[in-house]
Amino acid sequence: MIEEKGYALQIEGLNVWIRGKHIIKDVGLEVPKRRILAVMGPSGSGKSTLLRAINRLIDLIPESKVEGRILVYGTDVYSEDPYRVRRLMGMVFQTPNPFPNMSIYENVAIGPKLNRLVKNRDELNELVRWALEKAMLWDEVKDRLDDLPHRLSGGQQQRLCLARALALKPKLLLLDEPTGNVDPVNAVKIEEALRSLLRDLEITIVLVTHTPHQAVRISDYIAFIYMGELVEYGLTDTIALNPRHELTVKFLRGEV
Amino acid sequence: MDVREVKERIFLALVVILSIAAVLPVFHVFLSVVWKGLGAIMEAGPSFLLDVPPAPNAGLGGIAPSLAGTLLLAVLSSLLGIPLSLFAAIFAVEFPDNPLAKGVRVLSKALLEIPSVVVGMLVYAILVVPMGRFSMLAGSLALAIMMIPYVTTYVEQALEGVPFTYREAGFALGLSRSKVVFEIMVGIARRGILTGMLIGFAKVLGETAPLLFTLGRDRYNVPLGPLDYGDSISLLIFDYAQTPYANMHQVAWGAALVLTVMFLIIFLISRKFTEEVFL
Repeated sequence: MIEEKGYALQIEGLNVWIRGKHIIKDVGLEVPKRRILAVMGPSGSGKSTLLRAINRLIDLIPESKVEGRILVYGTDVYSEDPYRVRRLMGMVFQTPNPFPNMSIYENVAIGPKLNRLVKNRDELNELVRWALEKAMLWDEVKDRLDDLPHRLSGGQQQRLCLARALALKPKLLLLDEPTGNVDPVNAVKIEEALRSLLRDLEITIVLVTHTPHQAVRISDYIAFIYMGELVEYGLTDTIALNPRHELTVKFLRGEV
Repeated sequence: MDVREVKERIFLALVVILSIAAVLPVFHVFLSVVWKGLGAIMEAGPSFLLDVPPAPNAGLGGIAPSLAGTLLLAVLSSLLGIPLSLFAAIFAVEFPDNPLAKGVRVLSKALLEIPSVVVGMLVYAILVVPMGRFSMLAGSLALAIMMIPYVTTYVEQALEGVPFTYREAGFALGLSRSKVVFEIMVGIARRGILTGMLIGFAKVLGETAPLLFTLGRDRYNVPLGPLDYGDSISLLIFDYAQTPYANMHQVAWGAALVLTVMFLIIFLISRKFTEEVFL
């Protein structure tokens, strides 16, 4: 069943422990290609850990243990070289974290440059421009690509981080509450950027959010996680209109 | 005025008096060095930096070989010590659970307080005796040993100060560990790392004891190779201050001012590094 074609992300029997604490409990789900999955749930429910299990950033955390299988576009994440699998994916973090010592241009260029994805300067320039356009930031920064990122607003910095991730042309984009720390106008811009990505590219998105509104507004599928367990998973419309589980109802109403 | 107010004032007066008492010696030393050093240098003229030292009671001459020696020693010991410190620090930060890395950490902290004369003796035993001669190389090695714990500790702290999120961002881009360290972490921590290097450099500029039995104190010839004898400004001050000759005392004061100015320059550069906002 898990080998079936057409899925961008397949998770089966995933369990994660950190320092002996059981953070993710037997989670399984599948996301078809070119869809947005919103992972929602209250803070501390394990959403960020789930993302970090998918791209193996969890390896950086000492005393962490992962069981189960994760396939990303058919690649078994835990039986491959972690550095190679991470290149299939891009990640945007909760707090904008552009590299403070690199210019706007360098922030986007560093991934392709260090991974040797481009042959020459022209190709790199082209790719940087493409990524910034896809992140809907190009028009705002095209005249100051050499500025340091701290000159940008928080929301612009977050879109810069999106561009940095996109420059590697990831098949799976992981976003950890990307709008949690930006103003509403920028939040809307980021959501628009994500939707247009899905229209134009072969890309699948996993978005972690703690606001049910964002999940409903933007996603095709919703996974509701509570205390490390997958409470409910399905099409967004179904879950928004007919949540089966009592906890989901409460969360959608903002009561959990 | 009630009792509380009186107590308050006494306390304040005490704090002010003690603070002045604490900084007064420093000011006194600094002002003496500037005053007497400037006197000596003005009298000697530019030849103070270009000439060799005088004979007893025979004018002022200059401190050229010692000045050159100090600068060359600092450069040589940095060449020996800084790369080692960098790698030791990176190793300690990147592999915190490795027993060897833990050893590096403990050792570098312990060596911070090692008596410098012991380092001099060590190098005397392992290098000067087997080679049968004092040398710039032996002096540089002793200074490098003095410098390594400082630079290592500073670089370690600079790297540890880089927020975890940048590490994650680097790994999320599919970068190898060495690329994350050298292209991202070192880049973000570069000012702290440079400051650590400068402090190590400044530290060895003024060291005296490690050079006592490693360098050979040839203060009449500029050292031209690592196996030549050499001298340092600090040794010159140490020796000349103990002579009974007034002209040599003056040379010592002038040399002290030269050394102080070198420190000031490094201090200002490192201030510049740490001032710039980068996060």
